[in-house]
Amino acid sequence: MNDSIRIHSNHNFFERLHYINWGLVFVILIVSGIGFAALYSAAGGSFSPWASRQIMRFAFGIVVMFVIALIDVRWWYKLAWPAYWLGFVMLLFVEIMGHVGMGAQRWIDLGFIRLQPSELMKIAVVMVLARYFNTATLEDMRRISFLLIPAGVVLLPVALVMLQPDLGTALMIGMAATAMFFMAGASLWLFGVGALLIAGMIPLAWHFMHDYQKQRVLTFLNPESDPLGAGYHITQSKIALGSGGIEGKGFLNGSQSHLNFLPEKQTDFIFTLWAEEWGLMGGLVLLTLFGMIFFYGFWISRRCRHNFGRYLALGLTVNFSLYVFINIGMVMGLMPVVGAPLPLISYGGTSMLAALIGFGLIMSCHIFRDSRVTRV
Amino acid sequence: MIFQAAMRRNAIKIEGERSSSLGLARGRLVLISGFFVLAYMVLAVRAFDLTILQGELSQGGERTNGAEQASVPAPGDILRADIVDRNGVLLATTLETASLYADPRYISNPQVAAEGIVKIFPQLSFGDVLQKLQSDKRFVWIKRGITPDEQYKVLEIGEPGLSFRAEKKRIYPQGNLISHMLGYVDIDGHGQAGIERSFNKYLGYGDPLALSLDVRLQHILHREIEKTVKDFDALGGAGVIMDVTNGEILAGVSLPDFDPHNPGAAKSSAIFNGLTLGVYELGSVFKIFSTAALFETLNVPMSTTFDAREPIKIGRFTISDYHAQDRVLTVPEVFMYSSNIGSAMMGQAVGTDALQGFYRDLGLLDPLDFEIKEVTKPLVPSPWGDVHTLTASYGHGIATTPLQLVSAVSSIVNGGYLVKPTLVRTASEDKGRSDVRVVSEQTAHRMRQLLRLVVTDGTGKKADVPGYHVGGKTGTAEKPGRTKKGYDHSRLLSSFVGVFPVDAPKYAIFIVIDEPKGTKASFGYATAGWTAAPAVSRVISSMVSVLGLAPVDQVASSPDFGSELKQFISVKGRHEG
Repeated sequence: MNDSIRIHSNHNFFERLHYINWGLVFVILIVSGIGFAALYSAAGGSFSPWASRQIMRFAFGIVVMFVIALIDVRWWYKLAWPAYWLGFVMLLFVEIMGHVGMGAQRWIDLGFIRLQPSELMKIAVVMVLARYFNTATLEDMRRISFLLIPAGVVLLPVALVMLQPDLGTALMIGMAATAMFFMAGASLWLFGVGALLIAGMIPLAWHFMHDYQKQRVLTFLNPESDPLGAGYHITQSKIALGSGGIEGKGFLNGSQSHLNFLPEKQTDFIFTLWAEEWGLMGGLVLLTLFGMIFFYGFWISRRCRHNFGRYLALGLTVNFSLYVFINIGMVMGLMPVVGAPLPLISYGGTSMLAALIGFGLIMSCHIFRDSRVTRV
Repeated sequence: MIFQAAMRRNAIKIEGERSSSLGLARGRLVLISGFFVLAYMVLAVRAFDLTILQGELSQGGERTNGAEQASVPAPGDILRADIVDRNGVLLATTLETASLYADPRYISNPQVAAEGIVKIFPQLSFGDVLQKLQSDKRFVWIKRGITPDEQYKVLEIGEPGLSFRAEKKRIYPQGNLISHMLGYVDIDGHGQAGIERSFNKYLGYGDPLALSLDVRLQHILHREIEKTVKDFDALGGAGVIMDVTNGEILAGVSLPDFDPHNPGAAKSSAIFNGLTLGVYELGSVFKIFSTAALFETLNVPMSTTFDAREPIKIGRFTISDYHAQDRVLTVPEVFMYSSNIGSAMMGQAVGTDALQGFYRDLGLLDPLDFEIKEVTKPLVPSPWGDVHTLTASYGHGIATTPLQLVSAVSSIVNGGYLVKPTLVRTASEDKGRSDVRVVSEQTAHRMRQLLRLVVTDGTGKKADVPGYHVGGKTGTAEKPGRTKKGYDHSRLLSSFVGVFPVDAPKYAIFIVIDEPKGTKASFGYATAGWTAAPAVSRVISSMVSVLGLAPVDQVASSPDFGSELKQFISVKGRHEG
């Protein structure tokens, strides 16, 4: 009996390997493989320039994912704040460099990868919130004073990211955090007040905006009003999706995508390329795979026996799923055009790495689901 | 397994105090996942909708208009439509040209190829071309928009890595002439300014657009403003010819201008559209509005007098006269001698609210609602105090765009109906005209008499064209000082607005010259009467011959239109332009 408790809280290496959620790993491999195929097709049937580099990044990322997964979740509990402040300093760094005169720059060049601090900050914010809410009782959650610190933890990076300016990422951090506040038990009226506050700030912000900024917002809200400018992407994307039909045009045969009608086909609009070539069936298969990833995430959150793991798995899963939803919604014309990549599929190093780090943490929550995580 | 499950249940009991929060968390987790299930279902439905339901349409279309079977052009292949003037003269068109690009992978000999290319296009540098041909990209532009002759020569190089892509080039046969009205497009054919920008979507559908402009009048106006700017060594100028009955713009010029084929090379001062983006304190031409307001609100007779002997001191301002008469003036005298003191007193008599309301009705206080999107807000005193009523009566402390001013003048002289400026020709003749009355027929008539008087006996004599009954008003404003506060006496903005035929006006011509400098021929004067007024006169002389307008028969016509006002004028007036 005692043995059992010990095993569940402090596995050795092989037990840890055994407890890795191999089903989730399998789905991640398939989705990433679809990404490589799509990138291979986007380059006109060539591994260069995109697919080969993406595979190398994935290989690196999956190792990082396993390492993170195998490390005791209590380490991640301890590292939450350091990770947050590291991310914060990097965010501040790009912010200042951008102003000093290296141009508007969102990344730090590490040589083999261009790191976007805002991507890593998303994970760090989730970690800190999970840690903070870990020991929170329901009574705590009803006290506004208790919620001030986590609110600050979210708003600080959101403000910095907005300054970049990267409204999309800022919104994404905010939404994932909102889901965590919600699950941790914050009063419902808080969300109502929050929604009202944001609604109230819109006309105020509008009042202070310059005319050209207003114009941008209007195009942003209604891309169809400008079919040759911003709306062009969406129109082309919809045409490509429609031309795919049920079964698609076949691998490497997506004429709309290949003839360069479709912009950014290797990054934000890669779902369109996939669905044009593989049709509705291919699109639904990919959606199902994403749905499986998201169910794994929620299931792990539900099964976890410590709050830290519950909130961490939830926050990261919500974050991932939001990207999927917003990206696919965007290319299908359900959402305004914001620069959101399709995780695991779109070409891009940081987005791939961030997704895999996220899965590593989710798996760590799963392997150590029965650990006792408390303030030491 | 059973044992483990029991253990877990046990563990939950140990954490008993948290179980309520756990229940809540799990409940809320289900809610959140429910939300995402819904979101994914929306995505799936949308995918079904796009590929199957809407896809039927685009798929059917795609079969016939896909790139392989290009029989019907896809949206991007429609040639951007022509723009023509009111008589069908071509102002902008699209030609298909070839653009040269290279796939460096298939370039067999970059050195030879680059030499050949530079020989055909001497403006390209050998180093740049060679670098492009040796790059590891799959696609590099070498030169866009080349001529068929150049294309033939490139083919003669015989280099398999060089290819062409058909592109569309926007051509403006009139060159610089209409640059600010038409605007320009970027290299991908998207309108970036002027009509090209505001009608970008419309033109993209391939339907030709007819403008209200008349290229012949545009030439005349352009020529005369250019000449005046040159003669008086001015910074620039702008002008409009408007049909006062419906607001149609027959010509619109802003100088300096630019080559719409190559807007990137133009200075920002040349890109700037002075007609719609320039806000100027236009000075005495505003007396048209304050005088009209006087008639309209108080209905006073022409013989009403204003004591213009003493400059008005109000606060830190002193209002004095340029063409000082040092006596009590009647309304026609105030107008023809352009007395600031008299006009300020008129404004005072009308009152702040009424004057402000009148200006607003004329559209002088709000941004112009116009087909070209490069418009700006007028500068209006805020808050509007009584002192602003005085200065706004003679066109100071309030700055508007030239186009607004012309529209407002048109709205008064045409009999009192508000017109909105328009650049687009439509079937309906009175498109820009509304049924909104801004002044009565009587006020309109009186204003036309006063405008005629300025040209026969006042500051605008040089605007007259014998036989064509020109009316008008001069405006010489000092520009605000660049460094110090107040106005700079040496930097003028000289303008003239003319209307003809004054007894039943059809055309309004406005010209403003930015910082003209006096010349020997003008005896050192750079005021409106010596610069803008003669230019308007020359425009009208040319216009009437182009449009074939016969002069009014001097003998048969009754005494000159404004002459009945002469009874209100003392002869001892001393006035120059």
